[in-house]
Amino acid sequence: MSETELSLERLLFNLNTLAELGEEITSPKDFTRVVKSSLYMVMGTFSSSKGAIFQHENGNGSYIPIASKGLGDIGGLRLKLAPETIAELLKRREPVELGGGKDAGFLGAAGETLEKIDAKVLACLTVKDELLGLIAINGKFSGEPFTLYDHQLLSVMSQHISFSLHSHSLLMKLMHKYTENKGLYENLRRIYYDTIHAFAAAIDAKDSYTRGHSHRVSAYSAALAREMGWSNEEVEGIRIAGLLHDIGKITVDKTIINKASPLTSYECRELNSHPVIGYEILSKIKFPWKGIPMMTRNHHEKVDGTGYPDRLRKSEIPIGARIMALVDAFDAMTTDRPYRPKLSFKEAICEVRENWNRQFDPEVIQPFISVIRKEVRREADNPTIVPLLQEELDAVSLNRILEGFPGPRSASRPCRWISRVLKNTCQAIHGWIAELQRLCGLNKNGVFSSSCKRPNQNPRTLREAAHIVR
Amino acid sequence: MVKRYRNFKELGDTVVLYPDDYINDIEGEKLEDLCANYLDRGFRKIVVDFSETELVNSIGVSILIGVIEKVRERDANIYFSGLKRVNYDIFSIVGLTKHIRIFETEEDALGIGPKTAGQAVL
Repeated sequence: MSETELSLERLLFNLNTLAELGEEITSPKDFTRVVKSSLYMVMGTFSSSKGAIFQHENGNGSYIPIASKGLGDIGGLRLKLAPETIAELLKRREPVELGGGKDAGFLGAAGETLEKIDAKVLACLTVKDELLGLIAINGKFSGEPFTLYDHQLLSVMSQHISFSLHSHSLLMKLMHKYTENKGLYENLRRIYYDTIHAFAAAIDAKDSYTRGHSHRVSAYSAALAREMGWSNEEVEGIRIAGLLHDIGKITVDKTIINKASPLTSYECRELNSHPVIGYEILSKIKFPWKGIPMMTRNHHEKVDGTGYPDRLRKSEIPIGARIMALVDAFDAMTTDRPYRPKLSFKEAICEVRENWNRQFDPEVIQPFISVIRKEVRREADNPTIVPLLQEELDAVSLNRILEGFPGPRSASRPCRWISRVLKNTCQAIHGWIAELQRLCGLNKNGVFSSSCKRPNQNPRTLREAAHIVR
Repeated sequence: MVKRYRNFKELGDTVVLYPDDYINDIEGEKLEDLCANYLDRGFRKIVVDFSETELVNSIGVSILIGVIEKVRERDANIYFSGLKRVNYDIFSIVGLTKHIRIFETEEDALGIGPKTAGQAVL
């Protein structure tokens, strides 16, 4: 090849390398890989066997290696540059030849470090008068000296690599800000949750018997919602609603909440106002989750339309409120109250069964039973309901308790027909009794209707326990 | 005994390495690792046959210089063969042709072809 041909080939090779370098630094590849490839391109262009790229370490004038070749492990190496050295490098702009009596004394201790790694040429990586990094390479494999043309080429390549370093540096700053903001957000979130928990504690503190009630309703609701296939976001919403569902009780006199004897009609009205008051409090808050105020308002509704405050029927009641109606009543039944001791799990389940499609929605009871079964059989990842029951349950006794539990899918068509006839008959009898009581001036619990009867400890009926859950 | 694998062939204390069709990114470093591995195992002669290699760019040159340095550190020998014209020109530009013995074919580099080892033929 003639000298002219060789020069032309060299020009084409270098242009190609510059194009590849541009492509490399704008590629979405990992930064470490981009820097390494860039260094190899520089080294290949000047046929160097040793080289490194150093990057500025924030704040202390130190430059650390971020890519190297032919130098073994130089991870611990630091190039410490004094401010005047940096100023001089920025002033020169061009690559600096090291060793061999060249004028590189201004580098000070960094010059000695570079000599140790056999560096012969040092190029600056700068953006807007900021020395972001340095490239150091040893002599050419061929032993030829670096020409002016080589210096110019190295300057152009360094400029390309500088942009990559600068972009990465900006990205890192952005990431730092993001991490900082994320931390702040997490803090805010924690404060938010702590506040909600404090509210829940304040609600439960009004009644020594209901301590922990809001937390259990929250946990049960979340477990049940998850079983029903709700999204994580929706589960989180009902978890919060569970914590706040009794917030309206804050305005109810403590003596009413803790009263062991039957409530007067005024006291009944006061107590029964808590869902609406809770709704009014919570509807003024902009929650990140949907439906919390309505779940609070309707958690005492019954699917047969006899609940309060809106006397809604099954499908009119928000599903979250139907879930909370069940778990609220279940927790009330399985914990001590001022007017009665707690029911056993078996008794509570009997009550749930008794109120199938009356007080409670079968579409909610089924998954509730399913969660309990899974937890007892140790099939649930995070058991929630059973550990809070304070009652040992095993699979055999659970099966006995749940035996014959009605389910919409388990019943055959004739069974469903018989069940419907029986249910209608029962409802008719209930209606007659209610009418009879009304005519005799009695309320539904058989007490003269001037007061709202609470079930007392003796006699204790399961129906009373389930129906008069506050 | 000759052991031929996809990327290399062993003949006594000689190994022939066959790089990929392109040596143009840092994945090519596996060639350097392979070479180091053979030197560690006592192989004294490395032949890099480029007959399947379409293109070597500046990254490839850097990797090949690394290979040559490793061989030289162990006082072993390295030969190139089967270079396409375009790759030979690149090696000329960066000055490698002045320091590496390059043969037309792998057999030549191994000293079993019509043109014996010891003489650059391109």
